[in-house]
Amino acid sequence: MKASSSPTASSLGLKVVLPGLLLFRLALLATPLPRFFEHDHQLSSPLTSFFRLQEGIFLYKNGIDPYAGDVSRVSPLLLAIFSTVLQLPLPIISVLWTLSDVLGAWALVSIWRARSQTVGTKTEGLVAAAYLLNPYTLLPSLARSTSSLDNTQHILCLLFAALGKSSPALFTLAFLTHSSLTSVLLVPPVIMLLLSGPTSSLAAPRPAVISIKKALYLASEYFVYVALLAGISTFVAGSWGWVEKTWGAIFLLPDLTPNPGLWWYFFTEMFDHFRPFFLMAFSIHLLIYVAPICIKFQYAHDPLYAAFLLQGIIATCKSYPTLSDPGLFTSMLTIFPEIVPHLRHPLPTFMLHLHSALLLLLFHDLWLVQGTGNANFFYASTLVFGLANGAAVVDAIWAGLRISFGERGKGWAIAQL
Amino acid sequence: MVAVEWCFRLTSVALLHGLLRAASAAPVLEEEFYENLKLTPLPDGRLLTRFDFKTLLRDAAPRAPHTLAEEDEPQHYNLFPLALGQLLREHAVTELHLTLNAGQWNYAAWGQPEDSGVATGAELWAWMGESRAISVKDRWKGITNGLAGLFCATLGGLDVRRTVSPSVAFQPEGDIPSSTPHHLLYAPLPSESVCTENLTPFLKLLPCKSRSGVASLLNPHRLFDADWHGMGVHVTWEEGLGVMVRMNFVAVYNPTRLMGLQNKRDWSFRLLFDRSITRACPVATRSAIHVALPSEGNFRLEPTAHSNLGNIAIFDVSKVQEPLELSMKWPDESEFDHTSFAPSLSPPLTVRRVLTGAGQSQGALAVSLSNTNTETMRVAWVETMPWFIKFYLHTLEATIKGERRNDLVKLVTYAPTSSSSQAPTLLESHVTIPGNTTLRLTIDLEKSFISYTQHPPAAQRGWDLPGGIIAFTSHSSHRGEKEKELREQRIYTPILLVDLPTPDFSMPYNVIIMTSTLVTLLFGTIFNMLTRKFVWIKLHE
Repeated sequence: MKASSSPTASSLGLKVVLPGLLLFRLALLATPLPRFFEHDHQLSSPLTSFFRLQEGIFLYKNGIDPYAGDVSRVSPLLLAIFSTVLQLPLPIISVLWTLSDVLGAWALVSIWRARSQTVGTKTEGLVAAAYLLNPYTLLPSLARSTSSLDNTQHILCLLFAALGKSSPALFTLAFLTHSSLTSVLLVPPVIMLLLSGPTSSLAAPRPAVISIKKALYLASEYFVYVALLAGISTFVAGSWGWVEKTWGAIFLLPDLTPNPGLWWYFFTEMFDHFRPFFLMAFSIHLLIYVAPICIKFQYAHDPLYAAFLLQGIIATCKSYPTLSDPGLFTSMLTIFPEIVPHLRHPLPTFMLHLHSALLLLLFHDLWLVQGTGNANFFYASTLVFGLANGAAVVDAIWAGLRISFGERGKGWAIAQL
Repeated sequence: MVAVEWCFRLTSVALLHGLLRAASAAPVLEEEFYENLKLTPLPDGRLLTRFDFKTLLRDAAPRAPHTLAEEDEPQHYNLFPLALGQLLREHAVTELHLTLNAGQWNYAAWGQPEDSGVATGAELWAWMGESRAISVKDRWKGITNGLAGLFCATLGGLDVRRTVSPSVAFQPEGDIPSSTPHHLLYAPLPSESVCTENLTPFLKLLPCKSRSGVASLLNPHRLFDADWHGMGVHVTWEEGLGVMVRMNFVAVYNPTRLMGLQNKRDWSFRLLFDRSITRACPVATRSAIHVALPSEGNFRLEPTAHSNLGNIAIFDVSKVQEPLELSMKWPDESEFDHTSFAPSLSPPLTVRRVLTGAGQSQGALAVSLSNTNTETMRVAWVETMPWFIKFYLHTLEATIKGERRNDLVKLVTYAPTSSSSQAPTLLESHVTIPGNTTLRLTIDLEKSFISYTQHPPAAQRGWDLPGGIIAFTSHSSHRGEKEKELREQRIYTPILLVDLPTPDFSMPYNVIIMTSTLVTLLFGTIFNMLTRKFVWIKLHE
């Protein structure tokens, strides 16, 4: 590994930034912000709301089946963990969320180290700050949305995969699948990452050598973990009822609580007889991106980049997104600094994000708190937000493909035929 | 030809014979009909009128549920309401209670009503035995639809989305056969109102209709002008006595309003009902009018009562020769003084229930129970919420003067709602209220976002939520018979109106078009980029 050249860069790096950010995040917990954000629909969905998790824990402890009703939609694994090991008072739980975010930031930095084969560069501080100060990840964490924990698991899974530790990576992914089923889309890029290593060759693509046999072996290992955890979940919940309430909800959208995604208003306004068709269409739509992106970027020899792009697509198109999903996507951009000059339309994308972030807050408040706006206003801002996320994904795909062509000087331009 | 004629004759004789046999096989039961009108002047100047019609089918028993697969034995009724009787036999109902009320019963001014069922809107509950042939739920469906047709009410809406099985608060008023396990099904419909179309079928069930006897006073134009009015049908079975149908109509009149500018509480049949009783119902075993006499004040009741029982003047309608026209006057009073009445009837327990929270999606239900007695009181608290209201049980909190006292609440049943079954949430708990204190119960709730097709036509009007029920389970100061009486008493809180967050109802096409466009844009752009070839282009100049 290449050590950093100057000692000042190292001192400005992670050792200062990470504790500083941790202190800042802890200070935020002392403000009334967490209470203010607790019920915000943009920060926690019905599947990730901490308030609902608490209800589930309460019902579970009092011998009432938490999956009999509609309120508790968290994985039985979280229910088991939070009703036994992490049975803590609320302020400590909030600290736990912050620590989980810090762990995520550290893991992201470690991925950067593995990828760039460097230690102690300035980028490390930037990567950590981009994760810990990103409002999209910061606010859901303050609201104690379990999507923050999902993000940490997501990054840890990628870190283990980048370090070539197959079992921890697959187990973390299986656990993540239990709390957020959409993450199953990450299985192909994670297996590719395990088999090819984290270093990037985006700029000089060549076909990756991936053994199908090994890939199938890893995939079956992953499914064994999922089945094992499903068995534990059923044991914890006492019945298979959790499958319908947690995983089923992702396909069937029984709860139409607003979120920044595209599904909720679409299915609120859907004609009853078309509902099953469009539910199917929206679910399958998410699946179709996996193969093309993995195939295209295996030549670029960068499955990590494929995982990054898929996260962007998940964040845009999943059924119950929160702000932390696009938050993870935007923060992950910092571990691919080389693509930044090649982003297709960075300014319009940034403006769209800024625009929709302000509109989301405003129109959500106007509709549901002040009672002066109506649902269409918030829907419109989620559309802009979807557009912003989509534009970011498109930018990133363009940049990832464009980078290998380098520059040819004045008078030349790149185009697609 | 002759053979055909003979055949025909033979068949008709056989048919007649069969009919006669069937008729003789049906046990001829003794039937009794009692009617009663009770008038009680209330301290706040109002007048409580209560019509009671009791039909007793002596020595009859409810149909055993295990015989549901077989053909029912024929029934023959003279006085017992046939349409109702058929319905009860068809679905093997042991006990049934239906109330249809309009307005909110004022417990503080009018005291505890004789019949506890004063919930606003419609309320139906029935006890039915288990049967292998037809399930209790299927029979419930039959009953609600049958009663809906019988009483011209929207009781068909009391489907699985309204029906619960509470375990406390509702006790059978009669006897339940011990041979079969029985189930209670209960459904409130707060938005239902009672009017003429319900009274007409009600009168049809009475043996004398509204042509004679006490029932002739039931003039819909006047009854539905009363401040509070409601009707009830109660079917009970008592071992050794038989099946009894009690039909009642209760109206709380405000004579000071009816008197116009005079502002007096004087009343007469003419004023209240615009009718008088001209003849007695000939089939009634007993037909009486009771007037509760106020304990104080100088009043005059005309004509003179046939007998007196304590503070109650009794008129026997069957003895009436000329049209009976009761009136009561307070000759010394030039005007009724509304400020003078003391809430002497104020019940031992007062209940307030409100929805709190300003937002459209989050809120809380707050119930305050004030025990005015010095002794501790134990009550059952029952909440039934439609499927679009979700409770957060972990936020259930009992406080006395701001101090947390969750030990006073003991949860009995919690059956949460689910959007797939759309069954209501049922929350039942025992609550202990120390003497002379106000216990405040709060629970957070969520108003669900529901699909645009699930909203009613006037969505912005909001949804009526059923009132909470407080039932006296036991009372430390009363024992024995008195306790049984108290146990059957329930207090209903006012119904609540909740406005759910609404989508825009004109948007379906727009939303489908716009969201699909965005998805297509994303899909198209990404696949374009992934599949097309990158080339260098030499730019001119």
